[in-house]
Amino acid sequence: MRIELQSIRPHPIPEKLIPGSEIWATDLSIESGQKRLIAAQSGKGKSTLLHILYGLRKDFSGEALMDGYSVRKYTDAEWENIRRRKVSILFQDLKLFPQLNARENLSLIPEENPSAPSVDEMLTTVGMEDFGMQRVETLSFGQRQRIALLRALRKPFELLLLDEPFSHLDEENAIAASKLIEQMVELNKASLILSSLGDVPPISFDGKFSL
Amino acid sequence: MREAVRAKGSGWEIWIASLGCLLGSCLLILAVQLYQDSKTIFGKQAPPSNFFTLNKKIHGGALVNMGKGEKTFSQEELDEIGRMEGIMRIGGFTRNKFPLTLYIWPSGKVGLGAAAKTDLFFESIPDDFLDFVPETWHWDEKSSIVPIIVPKFYLDLWNFGLAPARVEYPALSNEAATGMPIELFIGNNREATMEGRFVAFSKRINSVLVPKNFLDWANEKYGKPDAGQYFFLWKDGAVDGPPRTIEFLQSLPDDQKENGQVSPISSPAERKPISEILQGQEEVDDLHSRIIVQIEGSPSEAFLAQLEELHYEINREFPEQDLVKKITNSILLGTCVIGLLFSLSSIATFATSFRLIVSQASEPATNLLLLGFSSATLTKLFFSQFVRIFLLVFLPALALGAWLQSLLCQKATAYGIKLEAGLSVWTIGFALVYCIVFLMINLRVIRKSVDDLMR
Repeated sequence: MRIELQSIRPHPIPEKLIPGSEIWATDLSIESGQKRLIAAQSGKGKSTLLHILYGLRKDFSGEALMDGYSVRKYTDAEWENIRRRKVSILFQDLKLFPQLNARENLSLIPEENPSAPSVDEMLTTVGMEDFGMQRVETLSFGQRQRIALLRALRKPFELLLLDEPFSHLDEENAIAASKLIEQMVELNKASLILSSLGDVPPISFDGKFSL
Repeated sequence: MREAVRAKGSGWEIWIASLGCLLGSCLLILAVQLYQDSKTIFGKQAPPSNFFTLNKKIHGGALVNMGKGEKTFSQEELDEIGRMEGIMRIGGFTRNKFPLTLYIWPSGKVGLGAAAKTDLFFESIPDDFLDFVPETWHWDEKSSIVPIIVPKFYLDLWNFGLAPARVEYPALSNEAATGMPIELFIGNNREATMEGRFVAFSKRINSVLVPKNFLDWANEKYGKPDAGQYFFLWKDGAVDGPPRTIEFLQSLPDDQKENGQVSPISSPAERKPISEILQGQEEVDDLHSRIIVQIEGSPSEAFLAQLEELHYEINREFPEQDLVKKITNSILLGTCVIGLLFSLSSIATFATSFRLIVSQASEPATNLLLLGFSSATLTKLFFSQFVRIFLLVFLPALALGAWLQSLLCQKATAYGIKLEAGLSVWTIGFALVYCIVFLMINLRVIRKSVDDLMR
């Protein structure tokens, strides 16, 4: 999925943060199949950008295009379809269902990605094979983060948006998760936009934007 | 998914809404069924009708009317009344033509205690105008007792008017009143004494009734000519002697009948040939001064105006079926209104509860929408939850309505009214429509609440 940003200025971002940003108030594009890292400190608007691309925010000026079509113009029904089949996201606050166990959370998706490995395989890949039947509310934040990541990967996508996916992962788990991400992005011939606080995850990015 | 959006709380609102729904649905279903049952009852019987008595208006004071004859209806007038809108049939009142005094013995035995003594009148009407014909409503010359029907409110007047004011008169139940011996004294000098009994209390006819054959017999045997049947006989341009009766005029030789003249004592100057008076008298015997008419439904304004124009006086008798129908309709309307109020408040409570449920589950529900689940899927999820609760309430309400109706049927059977137990196709149809409306309203509320989650 091709992404174009044309002079985007989110309203909640203070004006003084706009100059020097490689994303706000500039024109840029992310081609289909590219992997981009958005690196910035807290409060610079990383989540805001991902939310704009997920159709959750309209409080910005400029234009954001997905495959040449303005995100503002999609109807609710079109967004439903986009979220179901084209764009998958890992939110910073994860948005899991705490009263369900890990496996149930992974199953609770509107449509399954045909190229995704089995739940067991995925759980094993990120070291969560022993926690599948455990209620999410009893897991640590790092464990929850991995479950939320797996859920995002289990949905079909052409664009994968990951908001600080390794913030609570140790290096070993971050590497394992990164491998799985790269593998799924490649399999789906999808674009990837990953935000981080500054450290660069072990993923071969096509470029990096600083906010 | 259901587990993911399960919300805590809001239980008591659902209970209240369910209770309101149960009562409201049950009352509405019952009201619809009873409306049809009442239609069946009233449909099976003759159309609602009312009874009236008509007489000609009396003008002037006692002195003016003294000596005047009755204002009877001529055959032409009766025919004209018969042609009026809504008139079903006409019957004439026959009255007694003899003085009558009654001694009523409330103690149950003649000579025991105090008797209620009164001058009274008797009337008779054709039996088919009676609201019911008692088994003892029979008289022939060999009968020892004359059956009498009085208006029900006479008994009420006795019980709540006369009896409390007079220590010697006890209050009387229907049974006690029908057991009271009544002495009938006929004639000014009590030429005859007979025994009577109240056999029934009419809610329709406002008169003291006896069988027609008794009255015809008694009038024939003890009847006295009234003032209207006395005439001055004229001879050589002057009144000849005292007022004469019809019988006297009939006994005159034919030539005198042809040439002689008489005038009514109420207007002595109006002289007429004797033959004319005698001819008219034959017709008068068959005429009535008071008639009873049965009309279909309630009298129209035009009908009442027409009676007024003809100078007839109308006395409405007791409207029975009309009144019953009005009461039934009022009860049904009341049930319907209460049922509707319950249902509306239940719809409102359900709507509020489900808005609350959606709002309490807003976080997981929004997460599901963010994952790409459609708002239709979520609406379906909450709506199916509502449908389960609604059916758990509505089906028992339907069963309760059917059970209450069958209970009422049993009661009705005890009163001789035959009704089919169970809900009719129309009621079930209404219940379905009601169910659909109830569901649609709540579906709309839930859909809006879900749509609002992403705004």
